Parts: sequence; C-alpha cells; structure tokens
Amino acid sequence: MSHYQLTHLSDLEPGQEATVLQVKAHGPIRRRLLEMGFIRGAHLKVEKLAPLGDPMELVIKGYHLSLRREEGSCIIVSMIEPAGA
Amino acid sequence: MVTVALAGNPNSGKTTIFNALTGSRHHVGNWAGVTVERRSGFLELEGESIEVVDLPGTYSLSAQSEDERIASRYLSSTEADLIINVLDASNLERNLYLTTQLLELRRPVVFVLNMMDDAERQGVSLDLEMLQSLLGGPVIPTIGNREEGIEQLRKALQSVIQGQDARIRQIPVNYGDDIEGELLKIEREIGRDEHLASSQIPRWLALQLIERSPESEALIQASHAKTAITTQVNSSLEFLEAHLGADGGTLLAEHRFGFAHGLVTEVLKRQPLTKRSLTDRLDAILTHRWLGIPIFLAIMIAVYCVTFVLGKYPQDWIGYGFSWLHQEAAAVLPQGELTSLLVDGIIPGVGAVVVFVPIIMLLMGCIAFLEDTGYMARAAFIMDRLMHLMGLHGKSFIPLIMGTGCNVPGVQATRTIESKEDRFITILVSPLVSCSARLQVYILIAGTFFKPIPAAFAIIGMHFLGFALAMIMGKVLRLTLFRGVNNPFVMELPPYRMPVLKATFIHMWEKGSVFLSRAGTVILAGATLVWFLSHYPGITNRAWTAEYQSNRAALQVMDIPATDRDAKLAQLDLTHESRIMNTSFAARFGKLLQPALAPILDPDRKRPEAWKDGVALTAGFVAKEIVVGTLAVVHQASAQSSSTDVRVSPLQDALRNRSGLTPLTALAFMIFTLIYTPCLGTVGMILKETRSVSWTTFSIVYGLGLAWLLAWATVVFGRALGFA
Repeated sequence: MSHYQLTHLSDLEPGQEATVLQVKAHGPIRRRLLEMGFIRGAHLKVEKLAPLGDPMELVIKGYHLSLRREEGSCIIVSMIEPAGA
Repeated sequence: MVTVALAGNPNSGKTTIFNALTGSRHHVGNWAGVTVERRSGFLELEGESIEVVDLPGTYSLSAQSEDERIASRYLSSTEADLIINVLDASNLERNLYLTTQLLELRRPVVFVLNMMDDAERQGVSLDLEMLQSLLGGPVIPTIGNREEGIEQLRKALQSVIQGQDARIRQIPVNYGDDIEGELLKIEREIGRDEHLASSQIPRWLALQLIERSPESEALIQASHAKTAITTQVNSSLEFLEAHLGADGGTLLAEHRFGFAHGLVTEVLKRQPLTKRSLTDRLDAILTHRWLGIPIFLAIMIAVYCVTFVLGKYPQDWIGYGFSWLHQEAAAVLPQGELTSLLVDGIIPGVGAVVVFVPIIMLLMGCIAFLEDTGYMARAAFIMDRLMHLMGLHGKSFIPLIMGTGCNVPGVQATRTIESKEDRFITILVSPLVSCSARLQVYILIAGTFFKPIPAAFAIIGMHFLGFALAMIMGKVLRLTLFRGVNNPFVMELPPYRMPVLKATFIHMWEKGSVFLSRAGTVILAGATLVWFLSHYPGITNRAWTAEYQSNRAALQVMDIPATDRDAKLAQLDLTHESRIMNTSFAARFGKLLQPALAPILDPDRKRPEAWKDGVALTAGFVAKEIVVGTLAVVHQASAQSSSTDVRVSPLQDALRNRSGLTPLTALAFMIFTLIYTPCLGTVGMILKETRSVSWTTFSIVYGLGLAWLLAWATVVFGRALGFA
C-alpha cells in the first residue's frame, strides 16, 4: 500500500516518483506544460538535478525533460512513496 | 504542383527525412517576416516534381512560439496538399500529441515512424497494421540516418497523391460527448460567417477557441459573428468546467494524451530491458554533479580550438590570397580612383567578408554536431542556472563564449535558442564580449602606456569587463525591453544519437552560403562606404598624386642599399596615405566627433591630436583591428618595429610621446574600443539574425552610449583618485 503526499514538483528529490494532480500556472506556461504531458494522473520520476542545483531532469510519458524550479513549483503532485518506506 | 509539408516534434529526425527525400537540392530562406529558417526542396516522383517544405519542429500547433505559429499558419492555409508526420518511434506517446492536432486539418497524412532502430533497441515492437488503421493513413517505418524506408515512403506518397491509397481515412480524435457537443455549437456560430468558415477549418478553429489560443481569438476579431462566437465559447467553457471539472485547455490535452496512450497500448509491446540504455549510461557521466561542468568546459575548449585555432589556417590563406590580389592588382592597374576603389575598397572589403566563412562553417558544424548528438540540450541543462541569473537561457552560454573568438559566428550561434526573446537578448549582449580583433587594439594601447604586468592585467580586465557587462545588460534588457515575456524552460533531453556527418556538412554549407548572401552584402557595402569616406576628396588631388609618384620614381633610381630604399618607400607610402586620410571625410567626421569624445579622451582639452582618435575609431567600425592600422596611418608611424632589437614601434612611440594620450585616457580608449558599437561584420550578422533594422540600430546606439558612459566614468573616477 502506498501513501499519498501532496507537494510541489520542485520539492521532490532525485529518485522520487509522483503523479500530477494539477498545473497551477497560467497562460503560455500552462499550455506548454500540458502539451509536454503534465496532465492529471501522469506519472513522473525525478532523475537528477543539474550540477548547479537547477533545473531538474525528470522522466514523464517515457521521455526525459528538464524544468526549472520556477516552473516545477506550479505543478502540484502526489508523491508515491515506495511501499514500506 | 503538389506541396508536401513535413511536420513533427523537435528531435524526431525530421531533417534527415527531409534530406533523404530531397537529396541536396534544397533552398534555405526565411518564413515571411520572421527569423525562422524555411527549408524547401524538390522530390521527383515518376517524372513529377513535388515540393517538400520542412516545417519547424514543434511539440504542438498551439501557436505560442514563433515556430509553432509558422507551422500552425502554414498547415491551416491551403498551401500544403499533404502532410508527412514524422514520429520518433522510440518516443511515440508524446510524439502523437502533435498528430492529434494534425488529424484535425482535413489533409491526408502519411506517418513516418522514424528511429525504428532506437525503438528496437529499447525492446519495443509495433503493430504497424493496427497503427495504420487507427491513424487512418499509411505508416512507413524508417531509419532516417541510414536512409532506410525512404523508397517505401516515396511509394506511399505516390499512391496518396494519386488518390489511390485505401489506407487514407481521416479520423479526428473523439473528445467525448460533452466536448464534441460544445464543439458543434461553436462550429455552428462560426458558420454564421461564411468567409470565416471557408477560410478556416471550423472544427479546428473551435478547438483552438476552447483552448483560448490568442491566435484564434485574433482570427475572430474581424468577423461579424464575433459576439455570437465569443458568447458561445464562453458558455461552452462554463458548461465544460462545471461538468468535467477543468478548463478547456486541460480537457483537450487530457483527451489528446488519452488518445495517444490508448493507441500506444494497442500497438506497442515493450520487452523489459535488462541493461540501462546508452543514454542513461552517458548521462550518468555527462550531467554528473561533479563531472558535468568540467566535461562541458573541456568540450567548449575543443569547439573553440576547432573553430578559432584550426579555422585560423584557412583564414590566413584567405588573408594572404587577398593581400596578394591587392598587391598584384595595385602593381598592374594604373594609379587612380577606380584602381583605389578596387584595390583599397572592394578587394579588402570582399576579403573582410570571406575571411569569416571558415570560422562560421566550423563553429556551425560543431554546434550542429553537438545538437544532433543530443549534447546541446545537456549543455543548456548544465549552464542554465548561471545564465538564468543574468536573464539569459542555458543555450546562451555557447554563443557568448564563442564570441570571445569572434562575435560574428557568436551571434549566428544564437540560432539554437528557441524562444525569440531569449535569442534577441543574447544577440544584443553578445557584442559586449571582447573578441580577438579587439585584443590587437589592447595590445597596442596597453603595451604603449603600461608596464608589462599592469598591461597584462588591463588586457585580461577588458575580457572580464566584457563578460560582466554582457551579464548586467542581459538582466537589464530582461527587466526593461523584454519585460513580462516569460519563456518557460521546459526542454526535452533527447536520447544521445550518432549524428549523420552528411547532414552536418549540408548544414555547414548552408550556413556559409547564407552568410555570404545575406550578411556578406551588408558588410561589403559598409566596407566600401568606409573606403570612400577615408579616401575622398584627397585621392582626387592630382598634385599630391604627381608629387608622390615623382618622389617614388626618384627613390627608386637612388643609389642606396635595398633595405634602406624599401624603408624609405614604405615611409613615403605612409606619408601619402596619411595625407589623404587626414584630409578625408572620415577625418572631418573625426574632428566633428572631437567635442563628443573630448570628455573621455581629452579631459583637459589640451590635445591637438585628439581628432585622430575619432578617425581611428570611425574606421574601426569596419573591424576593430583596423583601429591599429588607422592609428598608424593618421599618426604617420608604422605599427611594425623597423628592426627586431627596437621593441617600441614608431606608432607606439608616436602615441606615447606625441598623441597626448595619458595612461588614464588610454585606458578609457581601450574601454571605449571594447564596447562602442559591434563591428560591421557583427552588425551584418545581427541584421541577418534579427531581420530588424530597429534592433540592429538599437544595438549600435546602446553600445555607443554605454561605451561613452563607462569610459567617461573611468576618466572621472580615475582623476578623482589621482591618476592621470
């Protein structure tokens, strides 16, 4: 059984997985994020942070994407904690 | 003639398919009014010529970026008869998002499943028959970089064009009863305006209105049915939000990805992979926390060396070639204005253009190579934090760092930056980065006025100052002229791939030839203008010419050692040139400039020779290293030492002892040279890359303003601190 925990995408650590709940941005950023696959229920995994700490690399819809914290902070996700953690 | 449009995501290998279809016969231009390149070519199908247009790679047609607007407008117009949708088979689901939009355009679509080898390597197998029937069009598997599947693609195009392909059934995505119902209502309102309904595809327009795309809202502004349409769209959105719990854009995106996901589940089987992919293994090193930056810097050094160290050889050959041509022409042709125009104006002018070609081709080749391998996105990923601090994009780093070699290819390298705003800011700040041409001026001035160690510090300081100013101006431009435009940094990190060298060479060739035809003409025109300004009216003075020729003839028959004679001849040439230069329009212009330059170069108004700085700086607009040559001419002192044991050249001696410049004003001169206007080559390139006279003018004017201010501040503070 896994637990749910609501958080911002930008707060996830490398290795953590989550599903998208909501994109809070507006205008062009919102559309861009939607087109790139940040739709309700989409599964994602944070791969790593760039050497300088920002942006982050994540895997969504089977491909690798990088995103600044700024954009990550407007995506609400529900964290999937590995069972037993 | 039949026109085929190639559409697909970035990194889907669209260009390799384009190259494979059209061979090397293609034309590079620009889309009307914008800076995005338009590539088109021809394909022969059973004797018939078919035009193939390569659209910019986009993730969607929602018309947010310049690229998307172009693709979307082109596809909504009636220009293309057929669409080829290039899909990356190894990343099918996301690639199909664009497909869901293409399916709305009522055009036959041929699907190319590219990168089949990558998909197979990932353990993916695809049911092509099923995919064909679900998408309603022929699906051709290809491996673009090995030109596999191109013949089948040609056959499919042939049968679709002849209308004989049974696989073509246009099936748009079904958005579910609620949305479909509202779409119909909006379409009905659009139908009230016959002109709108016939010039646009009503359902496609309705979809865009539901997404609230500004482009579609602009389209209905002119319609008499505007109020009816807007009212319907608003009530539809209200209804959908209440029933489905999300805004229009989200709902459409969810259904599109729903369609893509459903399709992928039907046709794609994935075998579990036993080992990590090549990309994962490479990324573990290349974007590693500690190793990432050193590796990136090493790659930058390699690119710099290939471009500017290797590129120096062909540049030198071109330089020798043109100076040989110059000498030969000067020796053969009779003395006169036309000869001077050819020998001193056009030949060096063409030389000044051609000399950029090797470094442009080499740098563009390196960048295309890095881009095709997938490393470019990682470079942006690594550098973005730093560049974002200064209002720039991760991809701005490479153009700036390459600008230290030469700003001209640096500005051209901004092409890799997708968003127009990020690209323009980078273009506008990149001339502040000190290039190798300016180094020659620093070496002359610092070597003349400072002791060796302070001179070295001054020269290094100029480079730091250039970078610091680029950073500050980046931030300033972002907060002022480009305020409010916020481009999300949502960047795909594509899998690493082996680039096709043929594509790299085609790219290099295109970049070189486009430079010659677009920027080259501007540079040549500017160089000719400066030749005119610096030779007239003195060159028409018959008495001077006669005097010069008789002195020359007298020297040549004089019985003195050959080395002495050469030195005397050179001095005579210089005197003659100097006489023409110092009475020329450029000199008058320099004198005119004197009051403006006086606060920085002549703060005590005591220098009779201060106007010469103005002349040198004016001539330096062509290329900044010309400042050195012009200083030599206006001061009538050679920049070369007459013998090896004298370390100070006559020019340095003249500058130090006669020009009246002090170490402080000399420093101001260096700062002014660093910043004042991009050189002519860079201006030509800025004009080519921005396609905007006003931005080009802006880059010249703000450079001048900033240069003056900083040089002035240096003098004022320097004097306040007791320096002279």
